[in-house]
Amino acid sequence: MSDKHIEAGEGHIGLPGYFGVFAVLVVGTILTYYVATIDLDFIFPGANTLVALLIAFTKMTCVMLFFMHVYWSPKLIWLSAIASFFWLAIMFAYTMQDYLTRGTGVFGS
Amino acid sequence: MAHADSLEHDHYHPPGLQHQFEDMKQQEESVAIGMWMFLVQEIMFFGGLFTVYLVFRSKFPMAFAAGSNHLDAFWGGLNTLVLIVSSLTMALTVFYAQKGNRNMQVILILLTMLFGTVFLGVKVVEYTDKYNHGLVPVTGWNKKIKAGDHSKNESFALPFETRAFASEAAGAEEHKLNPRGEFQIAAKDMDLPKMAEKGGYLTESERVGYYSNGQLDPAKFRDKVLIFFWIYFVMTGLHALHMIIGLGLMTWLAWKAWTRTFSHDYYAPVEMSGLYWHFVDIVWIFLFPLLYLLGRHFMH
Repeated sequence: MSDKHIEAGEGHIGLPGYFGVFAVLVVGTILTYYVATIDLDFIFPGANTLVALLIAFTKMTCVMLFFMHVYWSPKLIWLSAIASFFWLAIMFAYTMQDYLTRGTGVFGS
Repeated sequence: MAHADSLEHDHYHPPGLQHQFEDMKQQEESVAIGMWMFLVQEIMFFGGLFTVYLVFRSKFPMAFAAGSNHLDAFWGGLNTLVLIVSSLTMALTVFYAQKGNRNMQVILILLTMLFGTVFLGVKVVEYTDKYNHGLVPVTGWNKKIKAGDHSKNESFALPFETRAFASEAAGAEEHKLNPRGEFQIAAKDMDLPKMAEKGGYLTESERVGYYSNGQLDPAKFRDKVLIFFWIYFVMTGLHALHMIIGLGLMTWLAWKAWTRTFSHDYYAPVEMSGLYWHFVDIVWIFLFPLLYLLGRHFMH
């Protein structure tokens, strides 16, 4: 790992690589836009949101791994990035668990 | 051992190496970890706002869809593409910094700043549009339209229709009276909760929140759409603030690059500034579908 960092002269993925990632990001954006106009509720309600989030997640992963060089970074950096998403997952899950299990009455809603 | 003043050294070390580090590799790793700790904090910061969005959207999905339909996905999509291009130019800046190419670095930093400025310009267009249509969630902060006022809202009008509601196209606007500059929604927005009521998929909160005396209440619905616009302005506003800070950072970086501070051996500041810029891009990548693309599939 350490040698990968010192021999940084290769520029990691090189110019074609950066433009390739860029192309993926642009395609993802256009795809998100057009899928949003199609009603996917026949699959299950909320399918549109799931597709939009999956595309956004993929774009984010591309930016993080390749533009932010996480792919070539020390494991501690990988840990920081992944841990922050675990943190988000806990915050979303536990917050929603509270709201979704509120019933009616004094403690409701 | 007495150490001479910073300008005089009895030992050689690479340019940019601070004395508490053994070598450049250790310094670069430490700097990267420090920067990532800052980014983790930023993730927590925006994460809190996304949680607010998550809670209120799951309570009032129809109000959120109605609010989202007032946003122009054309400008939002354009901003997304602009930021993606700026991320590319930023990644290329780091690439050329690694190669020690000063001129390409400076050109690419300036390009990154250009795209960042375009992003902010589009935000001005969007916010002005909200002001003109009474969608700013604070009374008095919207355009005041008094009786007898017939001026058209044609600021920044595009020659083609991009909004979900064609009736809001330039030149075809019905001017609702808004003497006090209050937050207001269109009558057409009520179609969404009516549709959900008929289809039977209102949420628990919606069944209570939109109704007065068993009837759909436009005022109560409007107050839920208000929540959407609070979230919209706070999140995109804070994101825009991060962009402005990013532009300041880029100005400093461009100056440093121009004065040959960086080289093949020392370019960590370029890479770390790049991390910040990419992070701001990632936040927008999530903001765009969550704010702009909610209710589009309802409008057939």
